[in-house]
Amino acid sequence: MSDAIVSVRDVSWRAGNTDVLDRVRLDVRPGEFVAVMGRNGAGKSTLLDIIAGLRAATAGDVLLDGRAVSEQSPIDRARLVAHLPQTIRGDLSVRAEALVLMGRYVHATGWFESADDRAIAADAMRRCDCVQFRDRIVSTLSGGERQRVLLAACFAQRPRVLLLDEPATFLDLDQQLECFTLLRDETRQGMACLAVTHDVNLAATFCSRLTVLAERSVAFDLEAATALDAPEWLHAISPRLAVHPSANGRPWVGYR
Amino acid sequence: MISELDGRARTWISVSIVAFLAAAVLLPFVGPTRLDYHNVWLRHDPDWSILSRLRLSRTLLALMGGGALALAGSLFQSMLREALATPYTLGVSTGASLGAVISIALNWHVVVGIGGVWAGAFVGAAVVLFIVMGAARRERQLSVSGLLLAGIAINSVCGALILLVYGLTGMSQSFAVSRWLIGGLDAIDFSTLGLYAAVVGPLSVAVIAQARQWNLLAVGESWAATRGAAVSRALFTGYLAGSVLAAATVALTGPIGFVGLVVPHLLRSRVGGDDRIVMPCAFFFGGVLLASCDALGRVVLAPAEVPAGAITAFIGGPHLVWLVRRGTLR
Repeated sequence: MSDAIVSVRDVSWRAGNTDVLDRVRLDVRPGEFVAVMGRNGAGKSTLLDIIAGLRAATAGDVLLDGRAVSEQSPIDRARLVAHLPQTIRGDLSVRAEALVLMGRYVHATGWFESADDRAIAADAMRRCDCVQFRDRIVSTLSGGERQRVLLAACFAQRPRVLLLDEPATFLDLDQQLECFTLLRDETRQGMACLAVTHDVNLAATFCSRLTVLAERSVAFDLEAATALDAPEWLHAISPRLAVHPSANGRPWVGYR
Repeated sequence: MISELDGRARTWISVSIVAFLAAAVLLPFVGPTRLDYHNVWLRHDPDWSILSRLRLSRTLLALMGGGALALAGSLFQSMLREALATPYTLGVSTGASLGAVISIALNWHVVVGIGGVWAGAFVGAAVVLFIVMGAARRERQLSVSGLLLAGIAINSVCGALILLVYGLTGMSQSFAVSRWLIGGLDAIDFSTLGLYAAVVGPLSVAVIAQARQWNLLAVGESWAATRGAAVSRALFTGYLAGSVLAAATVALTGPIGFVGLVVPHLLRSRVGGDDRIVMPCAFFFGGVLLASCDALGRVVLAPAEVPAGAITAFIGGPHLVWLVRRGTLR
């Protein structure tokens, strides 16, 4: 698939003597919102790290916009890809706006960010509903508030690929829905997005594609719209999941 | 549009520069010997010499030394995300001390044309640098935890070796060694001071110019890497620059390290965590603090002198504890 912006080609990754990922293949096109799912230790975060260039694959390579990620400079990569970490240190003594402005690192040329950079950062904070925290010190924000600020920093980077390691962590239910709605709207405008998530219903409702990692590889790769019509893939996540019809007729994953 | 941050930065940095210049002009007049201002004005000795040679060189050394130490401290604290990280706690300075102590103990006054203490300090710092960086390298990447742990370990080894050398030296050298280990500022000739300035000045500018990169690293390594910073290279150059700043200063002043720990913390509690403001202010205010403490040490128990390092610890230590107690520190 030549139109893929992210192309994972037979990527393997070993930790010591353990194979975490073994010849994983995955292509993501602009406009796709991919939920990366699987059990703890399935290699979800590792896969995201390899795509982001944070870890080097033991074998295989990832192409970003047609070029091998290992051959791109950190600046080239940061122009293409933004990565939302699972968490950052809690004692950070910078203002929230300064953290968002860090997303402009590769774009801003001066020692201080320009008025344009500030406008982009302010816009990103508005979209992530955190502009009201702009002057707060990051260490005083709650987990969910901090998560929205970090997401705003990723948007301020204006990436073509957004990698999110559990973006819904710390978010209350309303903010989880807001966050996934925002990500769905952004990807519809051409961004590619890979999000690690454990919430099956959230993924099936908002994502365009579900990728389930199991047994060191991609076990299932499904269109989100029809995924729940043939729900055997849920076993790869937990045997205690089952599809029930919901009140509005849409299938819904419940617990046994 | 002039943003709020730019305005705040400009105010803080301008105030620190003014304080730095004022200290350079005023502090040479402070000392145990009362100067006859008429003689100074007419450039008559000894008053003119005391002021222009002894006290001015000493004040400038204190200003630059305090600046270099505070800058190196804030660099290590940001880069390694560790409140206690400074070249003093992480081995480099102790390595420099060990080198200096060995050259004093062996009575090497001059080594390949430069002062034995200088040469010893630089070799000592370089050896520590080599060992710590070698230990912290994994798959061609430097790791922060590796730098911290290896640094602390080497620090205690160097401390033990200093005690060993001290125990093995004869009477006269052991006095010189202990005098040096107390640390403190003294008048130096202007050619040495010029050499020191030629090392510290450009290096400090280079470190401060990279402040955005240190800001990214202060959040986290993967954060910095995915915003576009070359993390391993930044850690390498930052560690090297901080070490050279510390080693050059240790060579001239002996081990006086507290400035490097305390000034960045005091600044962060006031101006926030942006290294674009913290770093230049740390340099200028660090210099002012050390030079003022040295001036105070000259007069407070005159004719005896209290070393500047002791005064900074007396003033800075309780202040730091008070800030921790109030919870305004990070």
